[in-house]
Amino acid sequence: MLLGGHGEVNPNSSWHSSRGAILSYLTGVAVLHVLLLSIPIFSVPIAWTLTNCIHNMASFLFLHLMKGTPWHLQDQGQARQLTAWEQIDYGRQWTSTRRLLTAVPVIMFLLACFYTKYQFNHFVVNATTLLFVLVPKLPQFHLVRLFGINKY
Amino acid sequence: MPKMWNVYESFQALLEAGPYHLAFEGFLLVWVIWLLVAAKSRPRPIKLTKKEEEQLLAEWTPEPLLSSAPDPEHPALNTRTVKGKLGHYVDLGSGPLLNLASHDYLRFSEHEGIETAALECLHQYGVGSCGPRGFYGTTEVHLALEQRLAEFFQCESCVLYSYGFSTMASAIPAYAKSGDVIFADEAVSFCIQRGLQASRSRIVYFRHNDSGHLQQLLEQQAIIDSKNPKKANATRRFLVVEGLYMNTGNICRLPELVELRHKYKLRLFIDESCAFGTLGPHGRGALDHFNIPMSEVDLIMGSLEYGGGSTGGFAAGTSFVVEHQRLNGLGYVFSASLPPLLAAAAKQMLEILEAEAKDLVPTLQHRASQLHSGLAVALPAKMCVSGSVISPIKHVAFKPSSGLTVKQQESALHRIVQEVEQRGVAVVVASLLRSKEVCPPPPSIRLVVNVRLTDAEITTAITAVADACAAVIEAEAL
Repeated sequence: MLLGGHGEVNPNSSWHSSRGAILSYLTGVAVLHVLLLSIPIFSVPIAWTLTNCIHNMASFLFLHLMKGTPWHLQDQGQARQLTAWEQIDYGRQWTSTRRLLTAVPVIMFLLACFYTKYQFNHFVVNATTLLFVLVPKLPQFHLVRLFGINKY
Repeated sequence: MPKMWNVYESFQALLEAGPYHLAFEGFLLVWVIWLLVAAKSRPRPIKLTKKEEEQLLAEWTPEPLLSSAPDPEHPALNTRTVKGKLGHYVDLGSGPLLNLASHDYLRFSEHEGIETAALECLHQYGVGSCGPRGFYGTTEVHLALEQRLAEFFQCESCVLYSYGFSTMASAIPAYAKSGDVIFADEAVSFCIQRGLQASRSRIVYFRHNDSGHLQQLLEQQAIIDSKNPKKANATRRFLVVEGLYMNTGNICRLPELVELRHKYKLRLFIDESCAFGTLGPHGRGALDHFNIPMSEVDLIMGSLEYGGGSTGGFAAGTSFVVEHQRLNGLGYVFSASLPPLLAAAAKQMLEILEAEAKDLVPTLQHRASQLHSGLAVALPAKMCVSGSVISPIKHVAFKPSSGLTVKQQESALHRIVQEVEQRGVAVVVASLLRSKEVCPPPPSIRLVVNVRLTDAEITTAITAVADACAAVIEAEAL
C-alpha cells in the first residue's frame, strides 16, 4: 500500500490498515512486555500492569488526545478538529482496523488480571487505564469531547 | 528475587476473585468476542418489495437534457468580435471606437518596449511553459519577475500565479481554514468571494467601506471570544479588502483598517488588482497612496491583467508568509505556470512603471477626475456617476430614487451602451453573475479611464454618455 499515494485524501485514515501495521503494533507491545519482564526488580504482576499502563497511556495520547495530521491536507483544516482515532477509515465505525484496535487493550486487560492473580490494587489500576482507552473508542463517543476537554 | 509465578496459583485466584471482578471481566470477554465475530461495518441494504420497485420505476420521469431554452439575450449567445488589436481604439465592425471598456489604465498592452521584450522571450522559450511551477514550468524569467515584484512592493518575497482570478481564489484559502473568521467588505470582487467560500471559514461581511460597521462587528466577535477564550485562541481572524474596488470604483479606507488590524489583531489581506499602477506616487496601489508601510499588511495580492497589461497574478509579503503558498496555493501548485513571454512582458512593464510612475499616475488621476466632474454635471437627473474622483473606474448608474427594477435598469443600460457606441465610444455594462454574488451592486455602465485620453476625447466621451443616457431615458419614458 502506498501511503499518501494518488487519490488518498488523508493518509492518517488508512495507514493502520496497511500491510504489517497490526503485526508491528502487536510486536511492539510484546517487546515492551519482554523488556519489562527482564528487569529483575519487577515481579510478573508488576510487569503486566506496567505493560498495560504504558500501552494504554501511549494509545490514549496518540489516538485520543493528538489531533490533526502531520500531512498538509487540502481539506481546509477539517482534520484539524479530529483525533487520530476519529480519522481512522474516514470516521467509519466497526471497521476491522477499529475492531482490532479496540480488542487489543481489552484482551491485554483480561490477561493482566489473570497474571496479577486478581489482586484488587492491580485491578483498579488496569481497569481505570482501560476505561481511558475504551470509552473514547465507542461509536457513541465519536466527536464527543467530554467536559470540553481537548475541544479546540 | 521476586517469587516465581505459576499458573496453578492464578487459577486458584480466579476462583477466589470477587464477584464484581468476575462480572466485569465476563462482560468484557463477551463483548470482545462479539466485537471480533459479530460486529461488522456493513451498510444495511435497502430491501424493496416487487411492488415498491415497480412504483418507483413508474414514478420516475427522466429530466430533459436542457431544462429550458436559453434566453436569446444571454451574453453567451450575443458575443461581439473585435477586429484587430484591443487598444486605445477598438473596431467592433463599425469603425474605430474610443475604448473606455478595457482595464488597461496605463495602455501598457500597446507599449512597444513591452511587446519587444515579450517577442524576445518568445524566440527564446516558445509560447507555453509546459508545466506547473513545481515541475518543469519554472524558467529564469519567472524567478526574475518574482524578485522584481518583491522589490517593487518592497517586500521580502513574492509568488507568481498564472491567472489573476486564481490568485485571490487560491491565496485566501491557503491561510484561512475552517474554524477561522474572515471579515470582508461586501463589495469585494467575485474572485475574492470565491476564495472566501473555498476557505470554509466563517465569513462576516461589513458594509462597503464602512469602518464603523466593521468595528461594530469586530466588537461583537470580541464579546464572543471573551466568553470562550480557549476557542478564541484557536481562531484566526482575517480582514480581506480591495485597494480599489472594481465593483464600485471606491478607494478603501486603509488607514482606519490598519488601526483596526492592530487593535483587534487581524491578518490583513489586500487585493491591489485595480489599484496597481493607478494609485500612489510609485503606482504600488492603495498602500502607496496612503503612504502606509508594507509591514502594516500581511499579504498583498494582485492581478497583472489590468494596469499591468499582461496576464497572471502575484502575492507579496514576508517570505515566511508568502512561501507557504508554494505548497498550499492550489492555483500555484496545480496550474501550468505563466507563459514566459507574458512574464517577460510583465517584467518590462515593471521597469517602465518604476521609471515613469511619477508622470503616469498623476496624469491618470487627473484624467479620471476630469471625466468624473464632467459626467457629474452632464448626466441627466435620474443618473449619477459613482466611485472615487481619482479612481480610473467609474460607474454610471440610475439613482436609487429612480424606482426602476434591476431588470429595467439593465435593459436601459444595454440600450445606452448601444447609443454610446453610435456616438463613437465603446463602453460596457458591468457584467456580474448576479445569482452568485454575495451583495451585487446595482447595474451600472463601467467606464475605464486611461492615461492616453486627451481633453478632446474626454469631452467626446462625456457628451456621448450623457446624450445617450438622455436619449434612452426620453425614448423609454423612464
